[in-house]
Amino acid sequence: MSAGVKFAIIGFSFAMLVVSLLIGLWAKRKVKSAKEYFGSTGLFGPVSVGLSSTAAVASAFALVGVPGILYSTGNAMNFWMLSSAAFAMAYIILGKKVRAMSEIGQVASLGDISDLRFNNNKLIKGLMSVIIFLGCIAYLAAQIKAGSELFNNLLGWSPLVTGLIIFGILTIYTAISGEVGGLLTQAFQGFVMVVAGIIIIASFFIITGGFENVLEVVANAGTVTSGDVSKTFGPGFLDAWGILPKSTAMAWVIIPILGTVGQPQVLTRMYALKDPKDMPKLGLYAGLAHMVVGFFALVVAYGALYLVGSGEIAPLAVADNAIFAYADYLGLYAQLFVYAAVLAAAMSSASMFLTLSGNIIARDLPSAFGKDFKTEEKQMQVAKITIFAIGILSILFSLTSAEMVAILGTFGWGTLMSGTFPVFIIGLLWKRANSKGVIAGLGLSLVLNVASLLGMTWPGALPWYVNVITISILATVFVSLFTKEDINDEKVELVLDL
Amino acid sequence: MDIQGKRTPIIIAIALLWAAITVLGWYEMYMPGLFLGVILMFLHMVLGVSIKNKVSKKFLIYPLLPWAVIWAVSFYLSDIHSKMFAGVMPDFTILGFHPSFSWTVILYWIGGVLTLTLGFVALKDEWLSEKDWEEFKGKVQKIDERQKGGQQS
Repeated sequence: MSAGVKFAIIGFSFAMLVVSLLIGLWAKRKVKSAKEYFGSTGLFGPVSVGLSSTAAVASAFALVGVPGILYSTGNAMNFWMLSSAAFAMAYIILGKKVRAMSEIGQVASLGDISDLRFNNNKLIKGLMSVIIFLGCIAYLAAQIKAGSELFNNLLGWSPLVTGLIIFGILTIYTAISGEVGGLLTQAFQGFVMVVAGIIIIASFFIITGGFENVLEVVANAGTVTSGDVSKTFGPGFLDAWGILPKSTAMAWVIIPILGTVGQPQVLTRMYALKDPKDMPKLGLYAGLAHMVVGFFALVVAYGALYLVGSGEIAPLAVADNAIFAYADYLGLYAQLFVYAAVLAAAMSSASMFLTLSGNIIARDLPSAFGKDFKTEEKQMQVAKITIFAIGILSILFSLTSAEMVAILGTFGWGTLMSGTFPVFIIGLLWKRANSKGVIAGLGLSLVLNVASLLGMTWPGALPWYVNVITISILATVFVSLFTKEDINDEKVELVLDL
Repeated sequence: MDIQGKRTPIIIAIALLWAAITVLGWYEMYMPGLFLGVILMFLHMVLGVSIKNKVSKKFLIYPLLPWAVIWAVSFYLSDIHSKMFAGVMPDFTILGFHPSFSWTVILYWIGGVLTLTLGFVALKDEWLSEKDWEEFKGKVQKIDERQKGGQQS
């Protein structure tokens, strides 16, 4: 890559960083209370919330890791990337109930909803916060690592210096403007991802001539070797299931689709929406943005397979480089947008998980242990310091403990599902869900998540978190069923009836 | 459709479906697992769309039932075409895709959005009407006023 191209990529990415910073600083004006700082509660319309939801859901993994998996194992992962209907499903299932909770009490975090639903049960709030925190820190560390290594690979810059610059700026604007700045910058970053997606999708058809040519090449290429690296193709590679065990494809249908409703980055956006009747529009905008981003990942992987199979580029030594190899082949315009899109994906998810982690440490966990702040100003001040501290510590941790980040990387989507399903999905869809059941579900979820991290194995080829989610749901439902009903607050009853 | 008294059985069914899907996954029985997965999602949405335990028939007829059928058909056709062309280059394509994967694109992805996402927009009042929302807020306000009055007296 020439020095001029590198300079252009740095300039383009830096411009995106500066715009994000300016949006974050501007957003500070809108923050007038803890409810706004922590939750953006009832502040935004469906376009900004939709773009921010897509950006927060589509992390750097979606643009870098997914094309790598598709390149290595075929189409199974596309069930995950083409799960655009999941937003509408999530809002149909829970949208009005989560939004309605913010009408019956102060809601600025997921812990607040837990408090309202389960009569301020501190154990539920504490357990849920710890599980969500584990998932958030795992995601945060992975985004920082991906974003920093992007520029390390490209320019040879130290990941630590790159990480401190990019995510240091992100930490500053997130700490200053909280969820308001977080949501607006994510909307901007989501827009960047969509624009990049449209450009790369169009270029795919120009380069390959369409999907039929890709299928032809992949089915007939056999094994392509260059130096020590080989890539074996085959006709079954591009059928619906790819070459992984088919139960994995099954899990990659159910977990992303149903799991979207259990992601904190989706749940918190339900109460950020100003008018709950705009929830269907939110589903439409988020779904359309997701369609572009999902297809973006698909064409990148197909493009890389086509180029390797037809001998245009050498087989990839690292599958995760598929997106960069493809962009480098396309040339400057693609490189500008691809690098910016990957950075946008990393930043949007990082800011989301940074505010979530900050909220848990500064708001939900202290309150679970009986510590309440005297004033909102004091609470926001503590949160700003906490977000700043978590941001800096995460940067240092992500870039100095590669092995631990890789281990933590197994936490994420499934862990977050197992922490939210008992409280929100079962809890808000079923009046009979009681505190004993939810504590049992969350307690088992925490123990089994940690046990799986420590090496516990499960039967079959399913991703381990499917087992944990199932056990957590079974415990919540059956313990609730066989123990005494809680008496729900009458306003909570109104929400559950909605 | 009234689901009064059926909510607990539906939740139990949801828990049992999770268990069944997991066990089917252990034994590589992915097709029954996928079909049960569609039922699992459908039941969640039935609970989500209900207001005071009433489920809109219109919302059931479109988008929920067509969505469920489209996804089940998508998985079925994907599997049929996967088996039909196992180990060989397919002798036809659909939109340029492997026939097996084309159903993921046409029915699972685009069909999913055309049913759930657009149906949700088209029938938004069946999910939450202005009247439902205002009635809810009014009741909350009344409770607040009553509680405030109680504290003052």
